[in-house]
Amino acid sequence: MGTPQAPPFVVVRNVTKSFGGAQALKGVSLDIVPGEVHGLVGANGAGKSTLIRILAGLVHPDGGTVAIDGKPTAIDTPHQATELGMNFIHQELAFIPGMTVLQNIMLGIPKRTRFGLVDWKAIAREVAPIAERVGITAPLGASVKGLSTAENWLINIARALVRKARLIVMDEPTASLSASESEKLFAIVRDLSASGVAVLYVSHRLDEILDLCHRVTVFRDGESVKELAGDTLTRRALVEAIVGGHPPGAAPVRQGTSGGKVVLSVDGVARLPRVRGVSFDLHEGEVLGLGGLVGAGRTELVRLIYGADRADGGRITLDGRPFAPRSPGAAVRAGLGLVPEERRTEGLVLAKSLAFNVGLANLDKLVISPLFRLISPRARANLALETIRALAIKSQGIETPVGRLSGGNQQKVVIGRWLQRAPRVLILDEPTRGVDVGARAEIHRLIRDLAATGQAILVVSSEPDELPDVCDRVLVMAEGRIVKELSGPAVTRGAIVAASYAEGPNTPQERP
Amino acid sequence: MSDITIGSRHLSPGAKTALGVFARYGTIIGLLAMILAFSLLSPRAFPTVGNFTNVLNQASLAMIIAGGLTLAVTVGELDLSIGFAASLHGILVTGLIVQNQLPIPLAIAIVIALGALIGLINGFIVTKMRVNSVIATLGVGTIITGCAFAYSAGVPIVSGVPEAFLQLSLGRWLFDIPNNIVIMVLVLGGLWVLVERTDIGQQIQAVGGNAAAARLAGINVDRIKTLGFIISGMCAALTGILLASRLGSGTTSAADSYLLTAFAAVFLGSATLRDGEFHILGTLVGALIIAFGFNGLNIFGAPTYSQYIFQGAILIVAVGLSSLGRVLAES
Repeated sequence: MGTPQAPPFVVVRNVTKSFGGAQALKGVSLDIVPGEVHGLVGANGAGKSTLIRILAGLVHPDGGTVAIDGKPTAIDTPHQATELGMNFIHQELAFIPGMTVLQNIMLGIPKRTRFGLVDWKAIAREVAPIAERVGITAPLGASVKGLSTAENWLINIARALVRKARLIVMDEPTASLSASESEKLFAIVRDLSASGVAVLYVSHRLDEILDLCHRVTVFRDGESVKELAGDTLTRRALVEAIVGGHPPGAAPVRQGTSGGKVVLSVDGVARLPRVRGVSFDLHEGEVLGLGGLVGAGRTELVRLIYGADRADGGRITLDGRPFAPRSPGAAVRAGLGLVPEERRTEGLVLAKSLAFNVGLANLDKLVISPLFRLISPRARANLALETIRALAIKSQGIETPVGRLSGGNQQKVVIGRWLQRAPRVLILDEPTRGVDVGARAEIHRLIRDLAATGQAILVVSSEPDELPDVCDRVLVMAEGRIVKELSGPAVTRGAIVAASYAEGPNTPQERP
Repeated sequence: MSDITIGSRHLSPGAKTALGVFARYGTIIGLLAMILAFSLLSPRAFPTVGNFTNVLNQASLAMIIAGGLTLAVTVGELDLSIGFAASLHGILVTGLIVQNQLPIPLAIAIVIALGALIGLINGFIVTKMRVNSVIATLGVGTIITGCAFAYSAGVPIVSGVPEAFLQLSLGRWLFDIPNNIVIMVLVLGGLWVLVERTDIGQQIQAVGGNAAAARLAGINVDRIKTLGFIISGMCAALTGILLASRLGSGTTSAADSYLLTAFAAVFLGSATLRDGEFHILGTLVGALIIAFGFNGLNIFGAPTYSQYIFQGAILIVAVGLSSLGRVLAES
């Protein structure tokens, strides 16, 4: 247990960082004392990962200081961060499948040699006690292929210990662990703490935070808003600090109703482990929001509905008829449209023009001669011009490569692609991510306008502020299930955040 | 983002514009400079209608196979089987005509269908078995070479090739223009229309530009990729047939070297006019550069080995220009 008297290992003071125009960190401060488990919490986009990336030497702060052992230090490279005694374990673990447990533990660490050859035997003798301490049961010589995520975590922790880490940063460690695996991890975290290693524990799961951490820093909108410890460290205080005293915002005009005809009905749809049985109805003229934390399974769910991945359970009906798309192409023909989460990698062909990208989902409408499938350049141009006009897209013309447009205009191109098709169901995944305030309002208005014409719309958003602005009804997901349904006036930022963090039937279960 | 980094050096916007112009028009400037230089150095032999027709006639076969390859690379895959396949097709078409006494048009149709089948197999291995296209087509190409040797027992089929078949490549049926050139123009023209002016072409470009986005826009990516391989395979077959007609024989490995020529042409072409994107017109320019280069080397009596050095160097320069264009376009 860290004692308050011990001089802090890491001191972060007023660190700021902006990317392009967006200020990710507006000034965060944080102390990490040797031997403490320090929790770091906050909503998505609060700046947690930016701070971690700064500590890891992956990005450099614009202002403020980071001091290690009392000395202001510029961490220029990941290598330097390691030298300073900091180790980072991410959700996506870095290990090499073809290598042995021991080789993975020793990855990137200078190895003792004998006659110029790596002396694995001697290394194994040194590593064995560490492996035992963190609870690696697999033999050091075994291949890591087929080891569980939990065991890979242990390997990463062992690697940190071999490097004589003084601070281990764990980012969402239990996201892909079962309950019993998580328990084992907690025991190791406590053991590390007792031996004087500090742990910076980043998690959305407040139960774990309350259970493990000595101290918790809460980030909100790029600022460190609260430090909680001892008696002040309660679930209620955490949720309050995470949500903040934000005004609920002007009550949006909701034209849509959920009284319309059911267009899409989802019943028990699952794809383990991320989607664990989801049911809901989407009505004509309704904007339905899917809220929750990153990793709650929302994107995975809409990909199942859209045919981008195959469900392993459940039924979907579209306008009352069974609907099981084998591919996105089949979903599009059946009357669905998707504006994907990552517009640059999943939405657009960046090197191609605006007209090209809008045309992609409308090629059947552009063909003039069915035999040779020639497309009409004029129809293509008209389609692009109409889209530009309808969505007020700012560009130098329809032949501008979309890669040169701003984020908001790029997003409008992806949305505009579907307007001419007027799909029965339009799914928008993070429709305003990385979009400026003006474009964001326009996109929100467009969503409402489309709903007013009777279209059924499903909006996924990780920003709790966004859903109250556009949705008639919101389903909050956690751990692959719907944990809360909010409608009408109950759709507020606070309610969505609280439900995202709520405990309930969604506590981690033993995976099959 | 006004400045970009190449290697570790930062470039000013001015230098970037200059480089961009170089990357886009460099190949065309190079082609014209080469023609001019050869004309000045060899005013009698080089700049004549006869020589230019000859160069184009010679280059037509490479242009057809490179045109097909352009489709495969446009969908984002590499097809290394084309040279080996063209060799097999050459042997097969002569074999069908000489040994099996098939009518010439039927023999040609069968061989082109086989080219399509090889493309289909390549596409299946790449899209359904998820094998990297370099490995898949190298494997298929090697199997094809084996088949070619098995079919011909390593002995060229020379005797008994009918004159009518030779005339396919050597004849001048239209306005005294060599048939090879006419066929090449028809094939490349057709491919250009397909890629640039049809909905399938839009899908082909989308799949190559961003397969994930194309799929989510509702395009059947696997089918489009397979189509790219099929067209590549059919063009390889046509080149193999025309080569056998020109040589008057079916010889193992006769067309193998077209692989390298086609790749050099395609990558040179991608650096032409567009920023590192593959396109038919570019491929045509790329193939012309190589053809005139060879022709110049020949006229000046450069030894045969210099052709390999020239072609290898061109390939590297071409890919370098192509990625330079892409880097500049994305910055």
